[in-house]
Amino acid sequence: IVPGCLYSVAVLYFARSAELAGLRSETLSVPRRLTSLQLWEEIVKRHPRLAALRDQVVFAVRQEYVLLGDQLLVLHPGDEVAIIPPISGG
Amino acid sequence: MDESEEVPKDFIKLKSEKLSVDEVSELVVSPYCGAVSLFIGTTRNNFEGKKVIHLEYEAYTSMAETEIKKICRDVRQKWPSVKHIAVHHRLGLVPITEASVIIAVSSPHRAESLEAVRYCINTLKASVPIWKKEIYEDEYSWKENKECFWANSEK
Repeated sequence: IVPGCLYSVAVLYFARSAELAGLRSETLSVPRRLTSLQLWEEIVKRHPRLAALRDQVVFAVRQEYVLLGDQLLVLHPGDEVAIIPPISGG
Repeated sequence: MDESEEVPKDFIKLKSEKLSVDEVSELVVSPYCGAVSLFIGTTRNNFEGKKVIHLEYEAYTSMAETEIKKICRDVRQKWPSVKHIAVHHRLGLVPITEASVIIAVSSPHRAESLEAVRYCINTLKASVPIWKKEIYEDEYSWKENKECFWANSEK
């Protein structure tokens, strides 16, 4: 990873992901272009306990749902990326 | 009277205070409408034999409001005669039997508002980022809606 290509994004954690990560939000430096799965792996490196959620979590990038996979994310400085465990509203 | 005189409105609120059925239903009342349909989701005192003490809700508030707005937009496409839509969801601690969500929809005739209110709650459960934690006597559990497609189906 070339340092010059890193952008700061705000990562938000909710519900069980907040419990496992031990925090509700943080700023992370991530490559400007990476797949959603690569972003997940970056986050799990920092918070290994989140690995338990691998098969039951999606992202919300700029408040739009994104599945973990090969989808390329093009991030902008200050973007909001949220970890979304299974929802249970209503 | 011209029906366009009253602009259709969406009322969306997430709040930690007790919800009021009267307040939500009054928001959607309209002189052009003969029907107000309501859904009230309330908190249950049991789950698989375990006694539920209370529930706690949290939300990704800004996105939840955006997702509820999308639901309102879909409702107006599917049922163009729908007049007003109100969705109030409670956050934080909710004691047993109190409302966690109230949805009200008005329309000139009942069929549209009844169908729309069902669509609203079903879609809310599938797409709005809100989480519920059930607290039992000596443990707790994060709930997962069956409508949530990324939930672990083995559970």
